[in-house]
Amino acid sequence: MSEILKLENINYSYIDGGYERQILKDLSYSFEQGKFYTILGPSGSGKTTLLSIIAGLDTPNSGEIWFEGKNIKEIGLHKFRRNAISIVFQQYNLISYLTAVENVLLAMSETDNELPKGRKNVAYNLLQRFGIVRSKADRMVNQLSGGEQQRVAIARSLASNVNLIFADEPTGNLDTATEKEIIGIFKELSHEFGKTIIVVTHSDTVSAMSDQRILLKDGKLTDL
Amino acid sequence: MNFINRAFKNVTRRLSKTILLVLTFFLIGNLVIIGLGISSASKSAKILTRQKMRAVVTYQVDYEKVWRYADTIEDEDELQKFYENYPRVKVEDVTEFLKDERVKMANSISSNMWYSDENNSLDFVHLGNTREENMDDTGQSCWYDESGAMQCETYKEPIFFVKSNMYPGMIEFEDGDYQIVSGRFYNQDEIDNGSMVCVISQNLAATNNVTVGDEIVLATSYMSTYMKQSGVEASDIENSFEVIGIYSHNNPLTPDNSNYDYASPYENPDNMIFMPSTTVYMAQLPANEKTFDYYAQMYPEEEYYQNPDNRPSIENMDKNMNIDNVTLLLDDPLNVDQFVEDHQNSLSQFTSLDANNDEFNRLAKPLDTLSMYANFIVWLVVINAIVIITLVTALTLKTREYEIGVLLSVGASKLKVIAQFFIELAIVAIIGFTMAVVSGSLISRQIGNKVLEAQIASSEINEEEDDYGYNYIDPWSTDYTTDITLDDLVSEYEVTVSPLIIAEIYILGLGIVLISVIIPSFMIMRYNPKKILMNQN
Repeated sequence: MSEILKLENINYSYIDGGYERQILKDLSYSFEQGKFYTILGPSGSGKTTLLSIIAGLDTPNSGEIWFEGKNIKEIGLHKFRRNAISIVFQQYNLISYLTAVENVLLAMSETDNELPKGRKNVAYNLLQRFGIVRSKADRMVNQLSGGEQQRVAIARSLASNVNLIFADEPTGNLDTATEKEIIGIFKELSHEFGKTIIVVTHSDTVSAMSDQRILLKDGKLTDL
Repeated sequence: MNFINRAFKNVTRRLSKTILLVLTFFLIGNLVIIGLGISSASKSAKILTRQKMRAVVTYQVDYEKVWRYADTIEDEDELQKFYENYPRVKVEDVTEFLKDERVKMANSISSNMWYSDENNSLDFVHLGNTREENMDDTGQSCWYDESGAMQCETYKEPIFFVKSNMYPGMIEFEDGDYQIVSGRFYNQDEIDNGSMVCVISQNLAATNNVTVGDEIVLATSYMSTYMKQSGVEASDIENSFEVIGIYSHNNPLTPDNSNYDYASPYENPDNMIFMPSTTVYMAQLPANEKTFDYYAQMYPEEEYYQNPDNRPSIENMDKNMNIDNVTLLLDDPLNVDQFVEDHQNSLSQFTSLDANNDEFNRLAKPLDTLSMYANFIVWLVVINAIVIITLVTALTLKTREYEIGVLLSVGASKLKVIAQFFIELAIVAIIGFTMAVVSGSLISRQIGNKVLEAQIASSEINEEEDDYGYNYIDPWSTDYTTDITLDDLVSEYEVTVSPLIIAEIYILGLGIVLISVIIPSFMIMRYNPKKILMNQN
């Protein structure tokens, strides 16, 4: 499998109460196309920080990130977020005054990636695929259950036709059955559609179902 | 789902917030419309009234300045010298004014009362009134003879009013009060040469069976004893004038005028004769020369009569023809103030241009005050609106941080986020202002009229009553200004919401929105999506 994302000597620290806290230390790692990764680690180990950095929401103090052989600084973080990646959050992060289908369309409207014609139908089909029927797709998102909202968030992450999907505790607010269902979707996305899924989680259930478990400890990533 | 679409969805789906903002803009809009309406009505009323006034500017000696200056001179000789060279309006200044394309013509009028010749070959137009029946009972004309004794004789009533101008054309003709019905008015060549030409009334021409091209004989004076003693002969005072034009006029003296019965023949507008000022000077010159010489002989000790510069002559014509003031007719009443401003500084110390605006400005004061307050209110409301909307937007931003974080995380640019906020506010502003245009149109007139009434009452403008109470006929008067009353101004005051005001309110509204979005925009530009979303999570 080819390499999709490469982290090279990433360092990240911040000042907290007058003291410098080093979160990531010379961190290097290589992610492959079509694999489902889970990143584990104790609370405060910097999992979400790492996710923010590799998702282009933040920048490291030093080190380089390469996406499909290109430095993301050269691509531009904004363009990188728009065209290369999608993020699924624990809180779903849907826009409340839009319907489910409109939230999916939102991602489609922002990307420069080539998308199939008839975007609205594509959005409905995506939602349908993740169990959101048309009648629910036209509802405002706050009228949906937590599991349904997370499915909408996953559908939105796929809508922009990117190959790299990040998820930060995507099942943190869901019951076990729904959690399994969501992880099943991620597996399907990586294995059937060749998407690279990188999930930050505390959940053993989630990590057990991934292709590669990685531990973030002392600012470095180690395969488990 | 682009940012415009999102803005519409936000406005239509967050109705409570939208309604509150629309109401805010509606209230702001009403206040602005009322303010703009009143201000615009005040300005329009002034412009419309000013347009009704004659576009005249008077060029004259500023007597107040002369007197003030004279008061500062302590040395008697110096004061005497100053009075000998009393400031006068300058012909060169008038020539300069006439080069200004805004000036249509200039009136520098002198008036004389003349007679027919000894044979009464030119009859005047008769009114058949009481005065004409008692023409012989006109009082005494007295003078001192060589021995210093007073001599008196019966005064002979003049019958023609000769109105002369130093410049071609006259404001009276330009205004249409007088119209040339046959022939023409005198021209610059005739003024320069002092040609013996005149323009007479239609009725005078009919009375004497005169047509254009005919000649009439007029006497500049009657042959008094004093004239005879001076050696003046009939040929010195009688001149033949070619009638080059015949006019009609709109000011007939009719029996319903209270002055009709006592009007002298020369007060009858039909007996008015127009000719160049130089022509009048030339016609009067022979008699004036002889009487001057007579006085010079009688009073050898009088310095004035011994000075050859003072003797009436063709050479001394310019000096002898004093111009008291010149009235300039401009192309547009609205150009008057600017014209005065443009030329005032180039004038000498003791002459001035008067826009004849004092009364107009005095009466327009309530409108000016009203306009000033209205503008003040508009700006106060606009500034408050900016502050309020900025605060509302900034506070709303805090509650929408999460949404901004999501938009940024899916790759929306910060500029698009700002544009969405701008469009959202612009939509509610347009709705609010549109409602305000409707309601403002209905209430601004009532409020505008009430405010004007209150303003007039508080400014205590009192109009002066005409003491005479009747239309007094004064052929000497060359007052070209237009009388304006407070009613004239108030009748033109009408508060309406014009398309211009509507355009102004939308532009102001969008300006308010734009400025109100600037500060929140800085906040958005500083937003870090990671921090927002991590805080959320």
